[in-house]
Amino acid sequence: MQGRLRPLGSERAWLWIMLAPTLAGIAFGTAGSLLASGVLSLTAWDLINPPSWAGLGNYARCLGDPKFLAAVRVTLRFAALYVPLCVALSLALALLLNRGLRGQGFFRAMFFAPSITSAVAIGLVFTWIYAKDEGLLNRLLQVLGLRPVNWLGEGAIFYAVTIANVWGALGEGMIVLLAGLKAVPATYYEAATIDGAGGARKFFRITLPLISPTIFFQVIIATVNGLQAFEYIYMLTRRSQGESTMATVVYLIYRNGFRWFSMGLASAQAMILAAVIVLLMLAYFRLEKRLVVYD
Amino acid sequence: MIDQASRARRAAGAAAGYIALIFVLALTAGPFIWMLSTSLKPLADQYDGRLLPVRPTLANYARLVKAAPFLLRQVWNSFELSFLNTLGQVLTCAAAGFVFAVFRFRGRDLVFSLLLASFVIPPQVALIPNFIVFSKLGLVGTKLPLWATAFLGGAYGTFLLRQFYSSVPVELAEAARVDGVSLPLMFWRIYLPLAKPAASALAIMTFTGTWNDLLRPLIYLPSQQKLTTLTVGLSLYQYTYSGQWTFLMACAVLAVLPILAVFFLAQRQIIEGAALTGIK
Amino acid sequence: MRRRMGYAVLAASALCLATLASCGGKKPAGSIKALNWGTEQEAAVWNELAAAFTKKTGIKVEIETAEWSVYWDKINTLYAAGTPPEVFAMDAPLFMDWYSRGALASLQGYIDREKGFLEGVYPQTLAAYRTPEGFYGLPRDFQTVALFYNKDMFDAAGLGYPDESWTLEELRAAARKLTSKGPDGKIKQWGLQADLWDIETFMSEVVWAYGGEIMSADMSKTAIADKMEPWKLIAAMVQEDKSIPDQDSLSQYGSDAFLAGKAAMITTGHWMVPSYAPVSFKWAVAPFPKGPAGRVTSINSAGFVMAKGCKNPDAGWEWIKYVMSKEGQTKLAELGFAIPTRRDVAEGPAFLEQAIKIDHKLFLDAVEYARVKPVFKGYDRWSSAFGESMAGIYKPGAKVEAVVSAAAQAADAALAGAGK
Repeated sequence: MQGRLRPLGSERAWLWIMLAPTLAGIAFGTAGSLLASGVLSLTAWDLINPPSWAGLGNYARCLGDPKFLAAVRVTLRFAALYVPLCVALSLALALLLNRGLRGQGFFRAMFFAPSITSAVAIGLVFTWIYAKDEGLLNRLLQVLGLRPVNWLGEGAIFYAVTIANVWGALGEGMIVLLAGLKAVPATYYEAATIDGAGGARKFFRITLPLISPTIFFQVIIATVNGLQAFEYIYMLTRRSQGESTMATVVYLIYRNGFRWFSMGLASAQAMILAAVIVLLMLAYFRLEKRLVVYD
Repeated sequence: MIDQASRARRAAGAAAGYIALIFVLALTAGPFIWMLSTSLKPLADQYDGRLLPVRPTLANYARLVKAAPFLLRQVWNSFELSFLNTLGQVLTCAAAGFVFAVFRFRGRDLVFSLLLASFVIPPQVALIPNFIVFSKLGLVGTKLPLWATAFLGGAYGTFLLRQFYSSVPVELAEAARVDGVSLPLMFWRIYLPLAKPAASALAIMTFTGTWNDLLRPLIYLPSQQKLTTLTVGLSLYQYTYSGQWTFLMACAVLAVLPILAVFFLAQRQIIEGAALTGIK
Repeated sequence: MRRRMGYAVLAASALCLATLASCGGKKPAGSIKALNWGTEQEAAVWNELAAAFTKKTGIKVEIETAEWSVYWDKINTLYAAGTPPEVFAMDAPLFMDWYSRGALASLQGYIDREKGFLEGVYPQTLAAYRTPEGFYGLPRDFQTVALFYNKDMFDAAGLGYPDESWTLEELRAAARKLTSKGPDGKIKQWGLQADLWDIETFMSEVVWAYGGEIMSADMSKTAIADKMEPWKLIAAMVQEDKSIPDQDSLSQYGSDAFLAGKAAMITTGHWMVPSYAPVSFKWAVAPFPKGPAGRVTSINSAGFVMAKGCKNPDAGWEWIKYVMSKEGQTKLAELGFAIPTRRDVAEGPAFLEQAIKIDHKLFLDAVEYARVKPVFKGYDRWSSAFGESMAGIYKPGAKVEAVVSAAAQAADAALAGAGK
């Protein structure tokens, strides 16, 4: 259970003092941008002239726009694949690096390298890996006697892009989960060993329950990142003039808001995406009560 | 006999571990190594598809060397901002995470939900309202907007630390209380050192996030080479439609190196830092 | 304490003197901000220009340069906060979007005061910034489109180099011959790289060369589907000859198969010259091939605009004036990307005798047969919808009429929704 202690005496004042920066952040940052986006979504704003009232027009336009609806579908499909892959693989990496093997500092740094490399460069490297004629992946397939695939063509592109995204996010997930693993007291394992528990049993009985709060955190973060994904996808699917063949919701928001003088429309799209995220978070927090073990 | 068998099993386990590590290394570092290798190729060889450059050259880095005075300045600016952001985030998020995880009080869940609400608005949309506020305050053109907000907590870090602290036995706080330790001291002396693994994960994330941020320094700072950050400065070189990927990769390598060095130097100390030593 | 007071008095009197001096001459003073997109090389040239300008006029110019893909983010944000820069660089096709929203200051008053200011400027480059209320921007440099070809590939195929006699049919025939497959049946070399997303570098020229139009005369309706011959030629090259690579093939060469040595020809603007300079093969340029209705190429410019409501418009105008002067244009020509808008500079050594030796004059001569790239409100949105639909032409067996009319419809729909 979260927060078991009731504050006593001066603690009551102290905890609010310690929360003061956070409260200020909420007041200035979160509330401000939420409110601004909410209000702007009801206006037409070209960023140049003052916003003019548009009522629910922007929302109606979104829901009647096949391009936006397609972007919503692509985004949801992407997140549905991205989140489990991301969390499971990050956990696998973290476990691998938590075994006390020699040289793991080096491996950790190299595994983290993708997370700090610019999306432009990574996008480019992946277009070479996926290239249909002389790409690395297709050459590998041919060596294995398999038929080459047009990875960035219709159909395969969705998976190719998802894999590249997961690849870029693994380092971050790994670091976070590794921190979670470090919090598991070694004494628990020692006790289990004495009891004669095997590796699998230790994992399911000790590791998994004890790091479930961190896994829960990573699931939420991956969901938010997945639903707001944009950079990598854009880099792999871009065409001339800043176009993309796999438009996600945030890509459209960016285009409408910053390129096409439609900040009102972009804000409405952001609010719709926000609603999706809120619904998912509510569901997650409901599940948390059942699945996540605290203490 | 038993000892030998268990030693053999351990060795086999380690071998399997290394095989897995090297496999993952090929997957994660492979593209990265390709990037490095491409940056060492002459333009004519950029599509030769070879992992190692046949005619290695430093020519792609030469154009960057010319701009060295700017680049050093930019590295410093990036470092300054990354450091301040990291400091602010670790301190304020750890404090808030501690309070949320350990105590039960009226209004806690409401505040926590509001905090998480900042996840739902894509950063691209929050950019303009925030910029307008700082513009009205007359702070555009200074570095302040790029680090001050880091001292106002944040959903990511607070949530991460809260999750971490929630697996810490509550007896720890109770014991401290019995000893008459006040709440800020309890945080500073006991809980903050305890959070080293999670706080260092947050530190790494904040540091790299700030380092790689392009849009915010671009709009808040004057887009002049001596005043901006490395990421913005290098973006000037990465004219993505020029087709000269060898040069672009040299820029990308340069952008990564300082931060990879920081990570490499710091990670052992921060991740393997004595976790949970104080608990029985 | 007293010493500090002394400094304050000194500073105040210096300020007074400065103010008096600036008022006395009735000359604009102070400082301005000027934003450009570009690379670090461009930033360096702009800063040199600004230093020379400050020396001459006493006006301080803060040059800010951002990469193209984020440049507009910065401009948009500054506008949103009500703090636009005095002067910023404008891409001609986007001009109407900014002008029609009332974002720009009129330059007509300034131009009227400077007698003969626009004499010697290529009139085709001025067209994009002329509105019913006069000029709201001025061109800084311009681009015409030509045919770039890989000499080595022509030699290997035993083909004569393209010249001014070439027609589009000859372009097609040569492209077909220059397309070759490897033993595995995959195309190893393409005849021509042509951009079928944005109209500027290939499609508009071909449409015009067949006597077709991109837009109706009042720029309200897409006219591409009115004449099918140009599209049939393009579709034949893509689908039958397979001499034009599709986007998936191009993306593996960073979207430039010509630079990668995988395409024998490309039609593009002078801006690619510095990028192509370091390649290992020999290349040259030729005029855009002729069609039944003659030879047409596209002309497009980058320009300057001044923000309405900026702090120091008079000083901003001095800066624009300086960059458009012979001195400014000569300095800018050093970059080698673009063509100066002043005839005397373009026809002088600064442009014609650059370090990269190709037929630069060809790009100037092209002005005579060039048409201005269409400029209208919502261009970007229009182009996006159009390009996305046109991609259908790469699909095997796609009917060209269907693709083109669908593209026209999509483009018109996007135009109707522009700016809301």
